[in-house]
This record gives sequence, structure tokens and C-alpha cells, in this order.
Amino acid sequence: MGKTAIEKIFAAHTEDEVAPGKVIWLKLDVRTARDFAGANVVKRFREAYPDERVADPEKTFFTFDCNAPANTIAYAQNQQTCRVFAREQGIRVYDVDSGIGTHVLLEEGIAVPGATLVGTDSHMNILGAVGAFGQGMGDVDIAFAFRHGRTWFEVPPTMRVRIRGNFEYPVTAKDLTLFLVGKLGARGALGKALEIEGEAVEALDMAGRITLCSMATEMGAISAFLPPSDSLWEFVEGATGRRDFPYPTADPDAEYIQELEFDVAGLKPIIAAPPRPDNVHEVSELEGERVDTVFVGSCTNGRYEDIRTVAEILKGRKVAKGVVLKVAPATRRVWGRLLKEGWLEVLYDAGAVISHAACAGCAQGQLGMTGEGEVQLSTGNRNFPGKQGKGPTYLCSPATAAASALFGKITSPERL
Amino acid sequence: MIKGRAWKYGDDVNTDVIFPGRYTYARMEPEEMAKHALEDLDPKFAAEVKPGDVIVAGKNFGCGSSREQAATCLVAAGVGAVIAKSFARIFFRNAINNGLLVLEIPEAVDAIGPGDEVEIDPEAGVLRHKGREYRFPPLPPTVMEILRDGGLIPHLKKALTKEG
Repeated sequence: MGKTAIEKIFAAHTEDEVAPGKVIWLKLDVRTARDFAGANVVKRFREAYPDERVADPEKTFFTFDCNAPANTIAYAQNQQTCRVFAREQGIRVYDVDSGIGTHVLLEEGIAVPGATLVGTDSHMNILGAVGAFGQGMGDVDIAFAFRHGRTWFEVPPTMRVRIRGNFEYPVTAKDLTLFLVGKLGARGALGKALEIEGEAVEALDMAGRITLCSMATEMGAISAFLPPSDSLWEFVEGATGRRDFPYPTADPDAEYIQELEFDVAGLKPIIAAPPRPDNVHEVSELEGERVDTVFVGSCTNGRYEDIRTVAEILKGRKVAKGVVLKVAPATRRVWGRLLKEGWLEVLYDAGAVISHAACAGCAQGQLGMTGEGEVQLSTGNRNFPGKQGKGPTYLCSPATAAASALFGKITSPERL
Repeated sequence: MIKGRAWKYGDDVNTDVIFPGRYTYARMEPEEMAKHALEDLDPKFAAEVKPGDVIVAGKNFGCGSSREQAATCLVAAGVGAVIAKSFARIFFRNAINNGLLVLEIPEAVDAIGPGDEVEIDPEAGVLRHKGREYRFPPLPPTVMEILRDGGLIPHLKKALTKEG
């Protein structure tokens, strides 16, 4: 019987039989912890393995992104706890100046097609964008992975989603993603691996692939996998100088637990209203609602392409009076490119406040939270009550965020 | 054997209400963590829960953030098991890795009411409630071994000792 994408990756990383429902011992190419939970990983490691070494410091990393640089003493302490441990163990730290950990793993060529990576970020599965298996895990899991370089994992069944038709700007990867979150719901792919395919998926640029894979978590999925594309290989070559990685493509006779098909021809800009990511509407249905704050960034929409889209819309214009536009590029590298190409200047002139690279609003990090009644539009991935403060949060694409910032109310980018 | 009263909740109980985010950076001892278990969902829970009590919930229990305290605070509070219609996978792992029994028994969830007496025999795969028996498929052998050993790290330590 053929194998699905995730089964192929697993089969190359275990001695055990790989089939849905089987628990296997999975070899991990990379294990990471961020500043969120990182200090607890260190605590767990020290308790469980006093005076022992991590399995392989070359394959172990810390990535600080949740609250970077720390704006509470507790966070600063947690980061320092990780740094001290890293020095003792010879582990590399991507410190508070680096950006969002998963994106750093992609840019540095640490996450490559076919690899297995775990970390304390529940959006680690974003690494499906390059055909890698990424998984967010808890403290004990990661302490264990640091020490032993492997973990147990139940092989999930795979669900295939075929996308028919295509869409055009200003409809973007985020609209496709929110559309799917709405169709599947928060539990639609619970405990399953997803394979999402179709012409529109293959046409996505790397930023779009990241956006789509990042919200697998909001569909309940273990991870999402996409077909390879030119944009993928260009990115991988740029990061590693190589293209000869085993991309996990499902066999033609692979077995799926469920197959779905959606037509996206004529798809409109989509927005998720509070209080859940799957509460989706066409932007046009909610147009006119007042907006106080617009946040552009996050692991879902913090790439160069995402922020350039916003800058292009705002070029030569100003955000509406009373609206605060907050921008946080995903990584230092993205930040630098936007700076050197002049896009940050465009955003500055439009009235934006620009932060250094990190998770920012999504993790209650730098760039602030919302107060009660403060309506926020975010290009992030979660709008659960309290996640980003007391105010209601809507999730949308960078284009919708920019159009709405211009007018001070929810606005479809089709109007521009 | 696990025996206790049921604490009943709905679908999509997320890790933010199981263990509030505002405490995740205070590195607490287990007894302290137990005091905040389910604080934002059911303020009575932490004060009234008794060892062996069982949480009974709907679909997708433990969704959202990967924070492990959502599992460890329940262990610290003495919760014997969580029975749900389904679990978010990161929570499911965190529970097992910390020795907390998690079972998907949808029919039992529908039948059990708040405060009902529940008895679970994980080895035999049986849950008893009001004279009725619910059979559930045994967890995979590796998972049962981890649970029996009290979590992932003790499990591997034991396995390594056995290998000599």
C-alpha cells in the first residue's frame, strides 16, 4: 500500500512499522525551545537528567520570539535561564534579535524538505511549508527530545483536500486559508495530517505556503503538507544552496481517511470575526465596522511579501485618523530587506509604528495588547478571547488589514 | 482503578482556561499550580476537586496553546482521568507524558452528569457509571507503558535500566 506525505517522512525516521494509529519512536533531526516554555524545558531537563548532556548540541536550538526583547522581568529571567543552559551545553541560541523561531529555522536552512523538527511552539507545523514535519510539544516532551533525540508519536491518518479553481489578488493565501478554516472548522482535521493540493496551492509563493500551513493548527490538524513548487525550491536553494532533498509526496495509491474538494473560483476576501478563527465571513459582510488597531505580522503573515503588500497599498497615503497601525516583520532578515528596499520608510510615512522582528501582538509580546472594547484587525492566526488582550480581534489578510487601516473601518481591498 | 466524581464541561475547552496564561511564567510548584487549575472555566473546581475525580468534556479538549501546565496542573490537582469526545493532540501527548489518563469515550460523555460517580479500569478497558459498563479500546501498548510508569521520562529511565 502507498504512503501519504507524513508517512513517508516518518518511515525515513523510524525502525517501526508506519501505519495510521501505530505509535512509533521517531528520530528527530532538530529539537528547539523558545522563550515560551524554554525555561520549563531547562527545569525539566535538569530535574530528570542532572549532569547529563543533550543528545546532540548541533541539532538543538533555542529561538527567542514570544517576548523579544523581554518586556517583563519574568520573561527576561526565562530567557537568561535558557542562555545559561545553552552555554553549558554548547547549544546555539537565536536570541531576541532574530525573529520568529519557525521562520528562522526556514531561513537558516535548518528546516528542510523531509526533516523532522519539534519545538515548544504550537505552530511548529508551519514547517510543512517546506515539506518538513514540525510539531509543537510540551516541556517534558522537549526535554526528552533534547536528551534522547527522539520521541514517541502516533501516526495520524491523512485527510486530502483538493482545491479547484483559482483566485486573483486582492484575494490571497490568507483568504484561502481562512476559507478552509471556516469550511473545516476548529476540529475539522483534528488529529489528522492534511494534504492540500490543487493549481491554486501550487501557485502560492513561499510566503503563501507559510500562511496556509501555519493555520493547520486552527483546523485541529497535526500538520499540513503541500505539493512542491518552483517557489519552494527557490527558497530551499537560497537557504541551503541545495535542491536534492527528498520531498515527501504521497504515493498515488496512498490511503486517506477522508477526501474533500472545494472550489475557490470567485473566492472573496475573508475575515474571521471574534471569538474564533473558524467564525469566517466575507469581508464585505462586515464592512464599515470601526477599527482601532491594525496589527500586521506574526508567523502567519509576517513575511517580506506580506508587509510589502501593505506598504504598496499605503504608499503615498496615511492611515485613518485614530487608527494605530502596528507592523512587526517575522525575522531580522525580513526587517532588513524591507528597510533596505525602502518599504519601512513607506510604512513610516503612512503613519505605522514599526517594531523589531518577533511574535509581537500574537504572543502578548512587544507592540502591546488590546484594552476592553479596542477593536483590532490582525493578520495573525488566533482570535480567542484574551489571546491578544481584552478587545475583540478579527483575523484577515495583509491587503484587508491595509485597506481597513486606510479607512479606519473594516474595508475590502477590492475597493482600492 | 480510578474512582471519583465527574466534573462536566463542554466542547473546545482550551488550555488558556485550563491553566491561565498569566501564570505560565511563574515557575510554580505542583501544589501551587493545582490551585489555579480550571480557574477561568470553573472557579469552584480547584477548591473542591478530590483525588480520583474525573473531568468529563466534549470535543477537542485542550485545544490552543501548547502549554504543558494544562496537563500538569490537573495531575497536581489529583484528577484521575479526563474523559472526552476527542482531544487536541498536543494536550493528549502532554497528558500521557505526565502520566495523566486521557480517554475518548463519546457515549460515556453523553451519559455522565456533573457530580456522578465514575469508575475506570484502564487495564481492562472499562468505565462504569450508574450500573452501566462502557468498553473502550485499549490505548496503544507504548502509551499504556508510559502511563503505567508515570510519564515519559520515568518510562524511558525504566526501559534503559532494564536494557542494562
